[in-house]
Amino acid sequence: MVNDLLFRLRSLFRRNADESEADAELRFHFDQQVEKNLKSGLAREEAIRRARLDFGGHEQLKEEIRDARGVNLIETLFQDMRYGLRILGRTPMISGIAVLSLALGIGANTAIFSLIDTVMLRMLPVEKPEELMQVRIREPQSPSGESDATFTNPLWEELRNRQDFFSGIFSWSSTQFDLAQGGAVHDANGLFTSGNYFSTLGVRPAVGRLITEADDKRGCPGVAVLSYGFWQDHFGGSQNAVGSTLSLDNHIFNVIGVSSPGFFGLEVGNKFDVAIPVCAAQIFDGPKSRLDRRSWWWLTVAGRSKPGLSPDQLKARLGVVSPQVFAAALPLDWEPKSQQDFLKRSFQAIPAATGTSYLRQQFTQPLHVLMGVVGLVLLIACANIASLMLARASARHKEIAVRKALGASRARLIRQLLTECVLLSTAGALLGVLFARWGTSLLVRFISTGNNSVFLDLSFDWRILSFTAAVAIFTGFLFGVLPAFRSTRVSLTSAMKGSQSVDAESRSKFRPGKWIVALQVALSLVLLVASGLFLRSLVKLVTMDVGFDRNNVLIVRANLHNAKVAPDQQPAMFDEVESRLRALPGVVSAGRSVMTPVSNYVWNSDLEVDTPNAPTGEAALAFFNFVSPGYLGTVRTPLLAGRNFNDGDTKAAPRVAVVNETLARKFFPNGDALGKYFRVHADPGKPAPPIQIVGLAKDAKYESLREEAHPTAYFPVAQITELTEEQVFELRTATRPSVLVPAVQEAVAGVSKAIPLDFATLAQQVDDSLVQERLLATLSTFFGGLALLLAMIGLYGALSYLVSQRQAEFGIRMALGAPQRSILKLVMRDVAIVLVGGTAIGVCLSFAMLSVLQKMLFDVSPHDTFTFITAVGVLCAVATVAGYLPARRAMRVDPMVALRYE
Amino acid sequence: MAQKRIELPQGTLDLLILRTLALEPQHGWAVSERIHQISSDVLLIQQGSLYPALHRLERRGWIKAKWGTSENNRRAKFYELTKTGHKQLELEKDSWKKLAAAVAQILETA
Repeated sequence: MVNDLLFRLRSLFRRNADESEADAELRFHFDQQVEKNLKSGLAREEAIRRARLDFGGHEQLKEEIRDARGVNLIETLFQDMRYGLRILGRTPMISGIAVLSLALGIGANTAIFSLIDTVMLRMLPVEKPEELMQVRIREPQSPSGESDATFTNPLWEELRNRQDFFSGIFSWSSTQFDLAQGGAVHDANGLFTSGNYFSTLGVRPAVGRLITEADDKRGCPGVAVLSYGFWQDHFGGSQNAVGSTLSLDNHIFNVIGVSSPGFFGLEVGNKFDVAIPVCAAQIFDGPKSRLDRRSWWWLTVAGRSKPGLSPDQLKARLGVVSPQVFAAALPLDWEPKSQQDFLKRSFQAIPAATGTSYLRQQFTQPLHVLMGVVGLVLLIACANIASLMLARASARHKEIAVRKALGASRARLIRQLLTECVLLSTAGALLGVLFARWGTSLLVRFISTGNNSVFLDLSFDWRILSFTAAVAIFTGFLFGVLPAFRSTRVSLTSAMKGSQSVDAESRSKFRPGKWIVALQVALSLVLLVASGLFLRSLVKLVTMDVGFDRNNVLIVRANLHNAKVAPDQQPAMFDEVESRLRALPGVVSAGRSVMTPVSNYVWNSDLEVDTPNAPTGEAALAFFNFVSPGYLGTVRTPLLAGRNFNDGDTKAAPRVAVVNETLARKFFPNGDALGKYFRVHADPGKPAPPIQIVGLAKDAKYESLREEAHPTAYFPVAQITELTEEQVFELRTATRPSVLVPAVQEAVAGVSKAIPLDFATLAQQVDDSLVQERLLATLSTFFGGLALLLAMIGLYGALSYLVSQRQAEFGIRMALGAPQRSILKLVMRDVAIVLVGGTAIGVCLSFAMLSVLQKMLFDVSPHDTFTFITAVGVLCAVATVAGYLPARRAMRVDPMVALRYE
Repeated sequence: MAQKRIELPQGTLDLLILRTLALEPQHGWAVSERIHQISSDVLLIQQGSLYPALHRLERRGWIKAKWGTSENNRRAKFYELTKTGHKQLELEKDSWKKLAAAVAQILETA
């Protein structure tokens, strides 16, 4: 085999030498033969003639020898490519469209695939990622496969001290640090790491040193490690960074080193800027820090499994150690029932070679849907090029017949045609990779939201490139095979006669083209319906009555932690800020609250009411917000009955609440909630004062737009039970909210300069919660449109070809007196056939395929009639236009010109 | 004259060439002449078709070629059997004999 290949290659390079050797060899033979013939008494001329007859064609033999030596296989490949390029270059417009549509198809596929690759498939850039296992906590009654990732510090420490089955085990926690000292918040992505985090992962310092076990001891001083990117951006990559200091939430940390480039942490989609040891939590929290809190869940734990330990063994060892660890970290202030449940929890380990990612659960499904969408787009593009190839192959009918007559084998011709296709798809793939680069970064920007920017390492790896190569080759064959086989089935005699416009023949020639176009119509209908469904979902979500008015509301998050006021003075300070903000010009009204709508944060607890059959357990859960009297009016959640809070609802006054309709209905089914009392469930020994319902508010979305209305209770912020250093001001503005930012900063600085502020708008916050829906709607509409365009190019091309084929026939018809309209009808009948067939297939396909979208839709059935009808309507309208253009050309055929071709 | 000759079954030309070269290294023309003579003109072999076959056998490594001088003092390409060529000849001879015997038996008895 190797021998054979070497021989072929050698022949390739020794081509000239071999050529002249073969010449000499054949000549020698020929001369010998002539001599022999002469000896047998023939005249010289006759001797030569005989020898030639016996010997065969000299050149033909040389070709056969080349074949035998195996030169041809490689050489003809180059030949085919050169010839293919020439052929493609002869019709630059058509080839350009083909390459462009392929590039769009392949580029879209590569872009989506590279997101799937980075988010879901790629291994972490650390040492031996395949050994990493994440430790998670499983509740005894939760369904299998469901587990929780977060640990308390005591739980983590107990597990770390009691395990011997990981060669290294470490914990981390992502957080945000404010780098600014007062004024506008300047957030950095922070990372708490246990002492052995970097060493276990095998991350090396770029400069200085990384956090070690010695840095992670109780009472540790603040040290910080910078990520390489942060070091470059904020310190310009200066060596002096090590040894300098950094203010994190107003605490000073010493920079000890920079981690290696390429390491972003273990959470795909996030990158860390500053890492500090876990023990440093005490610096932020003070003496009652989270290090000793048994119900503060904040750490994530992973380990490197010992080589040779099977997953089953690991599971068994974790099972053994679980009860001891949970017993040692039991939260002592919990109810006995909850404590028992706590003790029954257990650890489980899952592979973490690809890291962890919140993006995965949010975008796995949308990305798969999009992969399907772009797959269909590519299929449509392929179909386009296939019909293009078919049409062109018929135009090359004569050329192929001539080559066949000259002795080219069919296999040889097919190879030539396929080479052209692979050339096309290679060009498409190269351009597509460019599109993909650009597309992926656009996509990432798309899924990044205001307060959650997504970071992904988008460099191409072997997986993406081989994916693209595979797609390119596959598509090349997909659109190449049928035309290549069809067009090489040439009958020599009819081709040589030079006539191919026999009516019956040309009609049958359009048939595969017709099927291809019908298929394109069907597939693009599927995409149109899908995009219609996503669009309708999004429109419903955006235009739905959410129970508050999101427009023109500025959200100002303020934190008094560093303002150095006693806890009992904080409410007064918040009040002061609120009244100053209310007085600002341009502010229509102002309010303040602890929670803001659709912010991903919840505050909930169980309610207790005295009515019979009151909800209990899960059903008794209600969602809370603590608001100032101005809040409901500012966000425009209407009060339906009773009264709003007022200045009389002080800390000392009786506890009161405004509840929403759902809460009232659920807990007081008789419709008499107003004036009634309820209690918020409290731990034994803690007070649970009765709270009177004084007002009834309209339902408003609390956590997400997709939710069924949550039972919600609003309490006066003055009666808040816990110290809440961070509160949010809502300002309804007369103009664009962002205009007010400087004025707000100035007003707050007038109260205290040490209050960090974080700005957002309510509209943006609501928008950000719809990233997934908007992504699907936008991209599916884009690709749906693209698919439609490609399908219409296909239809237009196929019809134009048909018209040119039947030109003579039309000419005859018109010469015999057929009216123009009848010619138009003749062509449009083909359009109608393709449309009806394609639409029928498309509707069936959509029905079958689109049920999978159910979960991603909102208030729209996957078989939504309106969407189907609209999609079919759009398709038919566009197809009629695409079909009419060539039909009109057919209609205007000049009989004289057409007949002259005969 | 043409009617009396038999077309060579596919693949047998290789066997004939190998057999001819097994005696001594020879150039193409000699191989052709020899097959011609020994087969007493029964087999119809286009002389030219010998050469692609020779080159194919060379590619497979069953024969090797070197340039030498012919009887009448001209440069000619001589082919000789390699070791694997000898083995291949034995194999092909065997299978040919089996085939011939089988065909003969069917013709006799059926």
